[in-house]
Amino acid sequence: MKEKLMFQNAPHVRQSESVVTMMTDVVIALIPIYLMSFFYYGARSLVLGFMGAFFCAAFSAVGKIILREKPGRDLTPVITGLILPLLLPADVPYYVLITACSVAVLVVKLPFGGTGNNIFNPAAVGFASVALCWPNMVFSYPAPMQSIEIFGESTAKIAQSPAYSLALGAVPDYEVLDMILGSVPGPMGATNIFVVAACGIFLMVRKTVNWMTPVSFLVPYAVLSALFPRIGGSPFDALCYELFSGTIVFGAFFMLTEPVTSPKRDFGKIMAGISSAVVVFLFRYFGGLEMGFANALILMNVFSPVFDEICESVLHLYRHKEAIRFTAADLLPKKKTETKPLVQILKKKEKAQPAKDENNAEEPVPEKTEVLAEGKAAASVSLINTPGEELVCKTEEEEVKTEEELSASEEAEEIDLLPEEEKTEEEAVK
Amino acid sequence: MSFFVKGILLEQKKEPMLTRSTLVMRQEFEYFDCDFPDTPVEELSAQQIIEIARLAEIVDESDGKMLWEKLEKASLGEGGRLIVDAIDDEPYISSQMSVAVHQPEKLALGIELCEKVLNPAKTYIAMYKHIFDMNFSLPSKVGRYKVEKIGGRYPAESRAYRHLPKGKNSVIVGCCAMLHLARAAEESRKMTSCFITVAGDAVKNPRNVEVPIGTSVERILELCGLTEEPEVIVAGGSMTGRAVFEPENELVAPTTRGVIALCKSYSSGTYSCIGCGRCDHACPKALSVSQMRKLAEFEKFDELRRYDAALCIGCGACSYVCPARIDVAATIIKAKKQMELAKKEGTL
Repeated sequence: MKEKLMFQNAPHVRQSESVVTMMTDVVIALIPIYLMSFFYYGARSLVLGFMGAFFCAAFSAVGKIILREKPGRDLTPVITGLILPLLLPADVPYYVLITACSVAVLVVKLPFGGTGNNIFNPAAVGFASVALCWPNMVFSYPAPMQSIEIFGESTAKIAQSPAYSLALGAVPDYEVLDMILGSVPGPMGATNIFVVAACGIFLMVRKTVNWMTPVSFLVPYAVLSALFPRIGGSPFDALCYELFSGTIVFGAFFMLTEPVTSPKRDFGKIMAGISSAVVVFLFRYFGGLEMGFANALILMNVFSPVFDEICESVLHLYRHKEAIRFTAADLLPKKKTETKPLVQILKKKEKAQPAKDENNAEEPVPEKTEVLAEGKAAASVSLINTPGEELVCKTEEEEVKTEEELSASEEAEEIDLLPEEEKTEEEAVK
Repeated sequence: MSFFVKGILLEQKKEPMLTRSTLVMRQEFEYFDCDFPDTPVEELSAQQIIEIARLAEIVDESDGKMLWEKLEKASLGEGGRLIVDAIDDEPYISSQMSVAVHQPEKLALGIELCEKVLNPAKTYIAMYKHIFDMNFSLPSKVGRYKVEKIGGRYPAESRAYRHLPKGKNSVIVGCCAMLHLARAAEESRKMTSCFITVAGDAVKNPRNVEVPIGTSVERILELCGLTEEPEVIVAGGSMTGRAVFEPENELVAPTTRGVIALCKSYSSGTYSCIGCGRCDHACPKALSVSQMRKLAEFEKFDELRRYDAALCIGCGACSYVCPARIDVAATIIKAKKQMELAKKEGTL
C-alpha cells in the first residue's frame, strides 16, 4: 500500500473545472461566430482564424524558448489569435494580422511575465497597433455576401460601415434588423449581433464569464447613447445604431471579460463596467477614430487594480466593523472621573488582596514585582506591603508613582482577560 | 453581505455511508469502571453527571476538549442555548450525522443529561441540509429535540454559529460526545472508541465505523477493503485533513472524523494564475485571497497583515474553486504560520 502514496495539500477534493475547460468554452463560443463570417465572406475568414491562432501560439512558444521557460499548457494565446481576426475586416492582408499577433504576444504578454501577468488586454493592444499603422486597411470593410479570394489582391466591393457614418453624424442607411443579423459591412465577427449575444450567453451560463461585466457595460452604454444621440430620430433608433455598430457587443462579451486584466470582485467589475461604458462613449463621441472600444479598453485596464483596492478597503471596514464601532464609542466625550485620595485606593487594594490570597495562596502578586525593577523601589515596596495608616507621611512623587502602578496593574488584568474572550469566540466559530 | 461572500456549493458524496448502519470494530476489552455512581439514570444530579463525564474521559470531538471541563465551565444565562453539533459539511464525512440517524434514543438520552447540567432555554441539533444525493430525508426530531437544518454553502459550520451571541450564552457540544455520555451513564462504559467515516473511490465497502481509539489507519482500511492501490490516504476531513504516508503508524484520535482513500492525486501547479477572482468570492471571511497568495509567495508579511491574513480559518474553499489548481490555502496558511513565528521572535 505504501509505495504509491503521494503528498497533496488539503483540500483533497477539487472542482472539475480548470483553466483548460474555461478556455475551451471560449473557443467553443467563438466557433459559431466563425461559421457566420464564413457564411458572409467565404473561406478567407476561416483561413484568417487559423492563421491568427497558429501565429499567436507559435510566437508564444518561441518567446517561451527564448525566456527558457516551460511551454504553457493553457490555450490563452490561441484565444487571442482567434479574437484578433474577428475585429478586422475579412479582406485584410495577412501581414497586418501577423503584425497584430506579434504585438499581442511579444509586446503585451511575454515581457510582463506571460499568462496571468499582462497589464493590458493583448487582443485590444494588437488591434489598436495595427489600426494606428494601417488605418486604411483596417477601417475599410468589404460588403457582405461575397466570397473574398484567399490568395492575391482582394477585389471585393468596399462599403461604408455604420460606425463610420455615425462618426460623420449621418444616419446609417441600413435597417436595424439587418444590423442585428449582421448583413452590414463591418468587422468580420462583430456584426452578427444575434450570434455574438447567443455565444456570450452560453459563456455566462457556463460561468466562464461573470455576467455582471457585460451587463454593467452594455446597460449604461445603451442608456448613454439614448440620452445623447449623435443622429436625428427617436432615442430608440439612436440606441440601436450605437449599440449594434462597431465592436461594442462583441467586445463586451469577449474582450472586457478577460479575467487577467479585469478587477477581481463583482463590485469592482460593476464599477469597471460602468466607467468603461462612459469612456467608450466619450471616445466614440469625441474621438477621431471610428473604433473607440479597443482604445478605451486599454485605458480602463490601467484602472482595474484601483477598483480592486477600493473593494479591498470596503471589505476591510466590513471585516472590522466591531472594532470600528468600538472606536466610535471611544470618540464620544467622556465624563471626567474624580481623582480619589490615595489612601482610599490603597485601602480598596488591601481589601481586594486577601480575597485573592484565599483562592490561590501560593501565587505571588505578579504586577508589583515588575514595577520594582524599574528603580526607586524602596518607597513603592513600603506602599504595597504596609497598612494604610503609615501612608500619611509619603511624598507627592510616590503618589504619582502608585497611581501609575495601579493603572498598569489594571491594564495587565485587562490583558489577562483577553485570551479567554478569544477562546470563547473560537468556540462560537466552531 | 452575500454580495461579497459567496462560498462554494460542494458535492456532498455522503451516500452510501450515511444509509448503511455503523460497523463496530471488535474491541479486546470493554472498559467498565466501578467508581461510577450507582444511582439510576433518571435521578442523577448535575454534579454526578459531570463526575461521570470525567471518569469516562469523554472528549468532545468537535473541538478536542474534555467534556466535563466544558460542562463545568459553562454557565448559561437567560435564554441560553445548547447546540448539538452534527453538521457534517465536508464531502464524504458523515460520522456525526450517522450517530443522529442510526442511534437516536441514546443520543436523546445524552442530550437530556447534558440539559440537566446546563439548564438551557433552547436545545437543538444542528445538521447540514444541502445534501442532494441522499436516499432518505433527514429526521426532523431526535427524541424530543428539534433538528435545526443548516443551509448555505461550505463552510457551513462557521456560518451556522455566526448569528449567535458571542461566547457567553451558548454551548456547542459534539454529537458523538453526547452518545458516549449516555453510554457512560447507562452502562458505565468508558469512552474507548470513536466514530469515523471510511470513504473514497478506492474503498470497497465505504461506511461509518466505530473503532477503538488508537487503531491504525491501515487496519481500518483493511476492515473496509480496498478496490485498488490508493495514491492518497487522508486522515481527517476531505477539505481540511492531511495526507498520510505511513498508514500503519497513523493512529486514530477522538477528533479524527474520517479516513479517505483516493485512487488519484490531483496534479497541482500545472497552470499559472489567470486572475479570475473565484477564490476571492469563495472566501467565507471576505478576504482578498488572490492578492494575499501573491504576497504570501514573496513572503511580504507586512503587507499580508494589512490584508488581514490572521482572519483566515483555513477552510480550503479557495483551493477548491481554483481553476488553475493552485494550492492557495496551503500557501496562505504557511505564510500565516511564518508570520506568527516572526511575531514571537520579534522580527516583524
